[in-house]
Formats: sequence, C-alpha cells, structure tokens
Amino acid sequence: MSDRVTLTLRAPLQESIEADAIVPSAFATLGEAEIGALPVWAGRARRVLGDYFQVSGGRSTTVRIVGDVRRAHGIATGMAAGDLVVDGDAGARFAFEMSGGRADVLGSAGDDAGVAMSGGSLHVRGDAGDRVGAGLAGASRGMTGGEIVVGGSVGAHAGARMRRGLLFVGGNAGELAARAIIAGTVIVIGRVGPEPAFANKRGSLIVAGGVDVPATYRHACDYEPPHVRLALTYLARRYDISLGAGLVDGTYRRYCGDASTVARGEILEWIRE
Amino acid sequence: MYVNSVFIDDTFAEAFPMRAARIVVTAVNARWAREAALKLTGFATSVIACKCEAAIERELESHETPDARPGISVLLFAMDTEGLGKRLVERIGQTVITCPTTSCFDGLPGAEQRLTPGKLLRVFGDGFQGSKVVGNDRFWRVPVMDGECLLQESFGVAKGVGGGNFIILGADSRSTLAAAEASVAAIANMEGVILPFPGGIARSGSKVGSRRYKGLAASTNDAFCPTLRPLTASSLPDDVDSVLEIVLDGLDEESIRRAMRAGIAAACLPGIRAITAGNYGGKLGPHHFPLRSILDEKAEAGARP
Repeated sequence: MSDRVTLTLRAPLQESIEADAIVPSAFATLGEAEIGALPVWAGRARRVLGDYFQVSGGRSTTVRIVGDVRRAHGIATGMAAGDLVVDGDAGARFAFEMSGGRADVLGSAGDDAGVAMSGGSLHVRGDAGDRVGAGLAGASRGMTGGEIVVGGSVGAHAGARMRRGLLFVGGNAGELAARAIIAGTVIVIGRVGPEPAFANKRGSLIVAGGVDVPATYRHACDYEPPHVRLALTYLARRYDISLGAGLVDGTYRRYCGDASTVARGEILEWIRE
Repeated sequence: MYVNSVFIDDTFAEAFPMRAARIVVTAVNARWAREAALKLTGFATSVIACKCEAAIERELESHETPDARPGISVLLFAMDTEGLGKRLVERIGQTVITCPTTSCFDGLPGAEQRLTPGKLLRVFGDGFQGSKVVGNDRFWRVPVMDGECLLQESFGVAKGVGGGNFIILGADSRSTLAAAEASVAAIANMEGVILPFPGGIARSGSKVGSRRYKGLAASTNDAFCPTLRPLTASSLPDDVDSVLEIVLDGLDEESIRRAMRAGIAAACLPGIRAITAGNYGGKLGPHHFPLRSILDEKAEAGARP
C-alpha cells in the first residue's frame, strides 16, 4: 500500500483512448502491476494502462495523473470515493456518473464533464466543454447531487436537466445554460448565452455578468437572496475562490419562471453591490 | 481551602444529563442578530417551568458564520430529545423567522443525532417555500415580507450537562452581586457553556419540592435565605447576609469544569466569605463537580487570616 498512485504519461497521446479504468475508488485494492494491466481502448484495439502510463504506487484511492490527457476520455467514470488530481487538461466525459470523492483538473476538461453526477466534488480550474453537469442524452435527469466548480467558461447546455446539486462557473456559459433544470443551482459569474434556464421548473440560475431574461420569466423584486450569499460563501471557502464582496453582499433581481412549465424556478440577476 | 481569603467548601455541584442544540443566528448586522437571539433565549431560565434552558453562548465574527454575516451562537437545553425538538420549532418559528434579515443555522454539524425543525417550519411558506442543498446540508427558503428567511433543515443534538452550579456567600448584597457579576464576566463568551438565568445570576435558588405545598415542584432554598436564619435549618455562617447562585449548562463536563474554575476564581473578591455548591447527595445526576479539585490549579491554600 502506498500514499498515492501516480500515473505518468509515457509520451504525448497520438490517438484518443477510452480510459474509464482510471477510477481512484477502484485502485484501493489493486497493486501497481494490476493497475498497469487495466484495459484501455484505442478505437477497437484493447490495450492496457501500462502501455500509456508509467504506474507508481498501488492500493490507494489518492491518484495523480501527470501529463496532457485531453485525449483520454472517461477518466473517473463512476468515481465513488478518493481523490484524483489531473495535472493538466482532461478529455471528454471526465467524472461521468461520479457519486463521491474529489476530482480536481488543474487544466481544462472536455465535453460532458460531470454528466449524470450524483455526488462528490469536481473542480475544473480551467474551462469545460458542452453539457457540463448535464444528463445522458435522452435521460430525464441530469446531475442529481454533488458540486461542480469550473474556474473558467463552459459550453452549451451547462447543468441541463439538473435535479439537485450545485454548478459554479467562474467565466461565461454558452447557450441553453440550465436548460430544463428540475431543481438545483447554477451560478455563472460571467455572462450566459441565449435561452437561459429554458423550461426551468424549480431550479435557480444565478448570473452576475449579464443575462437576457426570456419573456417567459416575470420580474418579482430586487433583493439580497440569503441562499446566494450562503452558496457563494461556501464556495469561496471550500474552493478558495476569490469572489468580490459585491457579489456576496449584492442585490439581485429575481425573475420567476419558466412560465412554460410550473414556473417555480428563478433567474437571479446580479444588479449592484 | 481558601482562595484570596475566600473559603471554598468541600462539596460538589451535582448536574444531570440534558439534550442540547447550538443555534447560530446571523443577520445583516450584529444588532439584529442579537435582537433575534435575545428573543430566542427569552423565558428559558429553568426546565422546571420554561421547558428548556437557553442563553447566548457567544458572539460570532462574520468569518465564523456560514453566510459570512455577524452572528450569535445560542445553546438550548431540554430534558430529552423530543422536548428539544419542540422547543426548537417553537422558538425558531416565533423569534428568528419573525426577526428582520435573519438566517438560522445548525451549530453542531458533527452531531450524529439530528432534529429537523427547519423541515417543520418550512410550511410557514404555505407551499411557496423552496430548498437548497449547500455542501451536505439542506436549507429552506421561506418567503417573508422582507425577502426570504433561510433556515437549515436539521440541527445536531448533543448530550449536554445541565445544572452545574456554584453559590457565592457574601457579607452583603452589594459585594455578593459584584462577585457574581465578575463570575459572569469571566465565563462570558466561553465556548460550550451558558448561564441561563437573568444576567447569568440566580437569586432564587430552589430546593426540590415544598415543605408546605403539595405538588409544588420546587420552592425556595430556605437553608440559604438570610432572612430565615433563625426560622429554619440554615446553612449560612453568621457573617453571610447575601447569597447568589451561578447556574451553568454545558455541552460536556469539561466545558462546565472550565467555566466553574474561571467563575469561582473571579468571584473570590473582598466581602465574599465562601463559595459552595448545590447537590442532592449524588441522587440527582451522574455529573459531579467537586469545587476544590476543580480549583486545584488556582488555589492558594492557607489559613484564613
């Protein structure tokens, strides 16, 4: 047993690989050789983890990946416990169906990060692609728990169909952010793209950098929402995010909607300190 | 044993198990947090008639509260978990929800046993309430006329200790009150302990039951009433004409022990003749606080001048 397992990329990836075997919770009972023998798919070819990574350590749920793995997809699929740090960019479907533990990407993540997440904490220091924290195609629910914190910007459909959980975006969000959210909270410090919180049932979309509020939302009031203060304070403390006091203490304009559904959701637009 | 020429009686305070909750109230500023906390802890001196005992534990800086606002920490004690749950619902519902700008949080996040007053109080929102999960905790957003009141759903329950005490015997009422005030000041803002009586001081110490009236749960502690010295089996020395009691409730024995040590040491002022404590011969509760051993570190043993 070692303190941690370190996977060091042997050479830059020349092809995309399916690396869904890299799951910290699964490494708890595996030695160094066993981890190196885990399957990795390169197209239709079955290879092993050791072909791409030098493995050091074993029987630990603390894992560090060193190297640019933006072409390695599905890392941390079904992660239920442990700590994972990616020392660079990560590929698509990172932390897919994650249910526990902490995953930290020091660079950016591809599309579908945190899709179908139900628990745990995913922190992407850079940007994330489309559908972060959303659901599988055709699924009735997206994220059902846990936290996703993206330091940069995200693509389209961020947090789509979220049922529960917290998605924080430090930059901008693309079109259809918080689409059809059932509940939960999406916070965007930058600007959100067209058609935000479309078909929102009971969820909250909180935007600090500008939002074109759809006509299906109705203005309620300008106030200082205590749950926004609580959530921002929590995020700032837990993830060491620097948020201006004006956001935490600020006044937000509340719009109720989406009138195309049950209209119990809200868009909160930051308007002043 | 003497401390600053004050006799420390060779006796012990006897306390009993209670169930406790810590409530953190925050508001737009310290004034409104305190307004809510004062109402929250009103009429909560003794379980004998108030059904609970409560007081402000300490003021909290904004960096200590979940929402980064000024806050007050309150400890509330009841005899059992069921009673504690009822008091939380009654008191938070009537004093925190009603107070402008306040939010209400659990101050015992590590406690395994939980009560859910927020879940019951949410219905004040008449269906317009909503919930948010932040971290691992659920919070209810109850719409009110100044915006929203945020209530944490569940509160931790601790196995607390109630009825810790020491009794200050003084030559006159002025010096006895000054000594009691010094005790309260020494204990104020200590973590994990409260003094539930007015200003932290009780003058109407009681005995169990009544000599004359059947059915009375408690009546005056005649043995410590100076005016009854010739009429009852008085416990008072001849040179004592005023007595005040400090009652302490704590989250654990160590909190009470620490507070008693500080409070008794602070009370040993000129005009004070002795410090004693209330007990029922060990029959009331399992928690015993021997005064002399608590003071061991502070004592200045010697003959009375």
